[in-house]
Amino acid sequence: MSIISTTARGHSTLTDLTLQDFFDLFNYQFFQYALIGGILIVICCSWIGLILILRKQSMLTDGVAHSVFGGIALGLFTGIDPLWTSLTTAIATISGVSYLRRKGIAQSDSAIAVMMALGFSLGLILISLAGGFNVELFSYLFGSILTISKHDLWAVGILVVIIVMFMVLFHKGILSMTFDEEDARLLGLPVPLLSGIFNILVAVTIVISIKVIGIILVTAFMVLPGLTSMQLNLSYRRTVIISVVIGIISVITGLFVSAFFDVATSGIIVFVMGSFFIITTIFKKLGERT
Amino acid sequence: MNGGDQLMVSNKCQNDPSKCTCGGNCTGHQGPATEPMLEEVVIEAENLNIELSRSVVISEASFKVHKGDYVGIVGPNGGGKTTLLKAILGIIPISSGQIKLFGQPLSSFKKWNRIAYLSQSAINYDEQFPLSVQELVSLGRINGVKMVGPLDKKDQEVIRRTMEFMGITDLAKRRIGQLSGGQKQRVILAKALVREPALLVLDEPVSGVDSTTLERFYKILSDLNIKKGITILIVSHDLAAVFCRMSKLMCVNKKVRTSDIGTNIDPSTILKETYGDHFNFVYHKHDCKGAFNSD
Repeated sequence: MSIISTTARGHSTLTDLTLQDFFDLFNYQFFQYALIGGILIVICCSWIGLILILRKQSMLTDGVAHSVFGGIALGLFTGIDPLWTSLTTAIATISGVSYLRRKGIAQSDSAIAVMMALGFSLGLILISLAGGFNVELFSYLFGSILTISKHDLWAVGILVVIIVMFMVLFHKGILSMTFDEEDARLLGLPVPLLSGIFNILVAVTIVISIKVIGIILVTAFMVLPGLTSMQLNLSYRRTVIISVVIGIISVITGLFVSAFFDVATSGIIVFVMGSFFIITTIFKKLGERT
Repeated sequence: MNGGDQLMVSNKCQNDPSKCTCGGNCTGHQGPATEPMLEEVVIEAENLNIELSRSVVISEASFKVHKGDYVGIVGPNGGGKTTLLKAILGIIPISSGQIKLFGQPLSSFKKWNRIAYLSQSAINYDEQFPLSVQELVSLGRINGVKMVGPLDKKDQEVIRRTMEFMGITDLAKRRIGQLSGGQKQRVILAKALVREPALLVLDEPVSGVDSTTLERFYKILSDLNIKKGITILIVSHDLAAVFCRMSKLMCVNKKVRTSDIGTNIDPSTILKETYGDHFNFVYHKHDCKGAFNSD
């Protein structure tokens, strides 16, 4: 969706655009909501995603996001708010992956594949039972950042507060558990509790992010900022900060570029994130050679 | 390996017990374990059986480790060494028997801060992990109580002293992915030591490093054992180091057999029982000084 066309400003080419147009965008409530919502979401995704990368579970995001497709379809099919059905599916997927891994039934990647396949197939079955592809379901696949409502903003705002509080208060425990789980247990840390809360936060973050960027791109939001900042070889604190900053810059850039170039917003945000990653990796490699 | 395979062990003591006075170059062991008054039992296993995936890994093991012991755990690959350590630490369940830590049954043992464990994977950590040396070592100081909020002055002091003892103070700000093999070992060991443990458990911590680094690492462990009185259990395939440095030998291959080192007890029998009859153990008549002359 193009912001320029949405606002019907009548500009047909980029050369018509002025600095005033840039500032005018801030007058539109939907743009304000998109900007605030996108920034809040990316703060959650970058931070949670960094820990998932360090736990070697980045593909868990993809698995959960795809299985949530089944949850959303279930919600639309039964008339229950898809938020709750997708959240339930996300938590069930993470718990299932964790169980399969812990019991030695399947490695992490295989366990994710199993749960993803089950969730996605559930979605397909329900769609066929419903008699066709639902337009609303399509919006979950690709997200709709420009349609964020005040209600969505509240949900994201509360999520950010909870995640920031948890990650700041328990960052030592989370780091210890992530670095060496066995040692963390021996240190007397409540690893199952910490891990359980973290998994729930992962599930909630993914479900809420899907509304903004869609199932297809949620993995990029979770992985790219963290992976980019890790290339810089910084301390944990700085890695988190840089990761969040990269995410925020990508969202802001993506929103404006999508407004002026008439391209898909979530697509351009992820493209900016990907560019950050490629540029950082090239500079890192060049630095290693010299 | 076929008949006639030889595991070479350099230890003057084994061939000439009279040399085992633990002075001069007879390294064997010189720590608190030789002092009879220190008899506090740190680990006690009784009729221990461990099964994994329905196959017996450890069978009817009974042994004691006393305060100040420096125990070298040896045995063939797949013999159950790591499993035994993990069972002692409560990481994997036992099938039957009993384990006591510091006199407390494992099930009711709470003072985990008295124990530090270095797993095989701990040293081979992810080099991309975004932590500085200072941040990593500090992680060893936290526990269930200190998980929230900053570390206090005492914690900071312990971290500072430990880093100094391990010779890694100048690495404090370096990323853990930028360390050499020897530096990694010392950093990970420092993380374990900042909790001021009474028992240090190490699972093959010396693979893939050069002999100088190896020597320095064993020297640090000996200092920890002798000067700080820390009881040490270490899984190692380096029989020469075990015989030169440690006070007790624990052979693990489903069965667990123990023997003192530096006495006139010949460990050949239990080594053969552990590794198989087709192994010959050759003891060189020279001091351990050659390999470990940093003492």
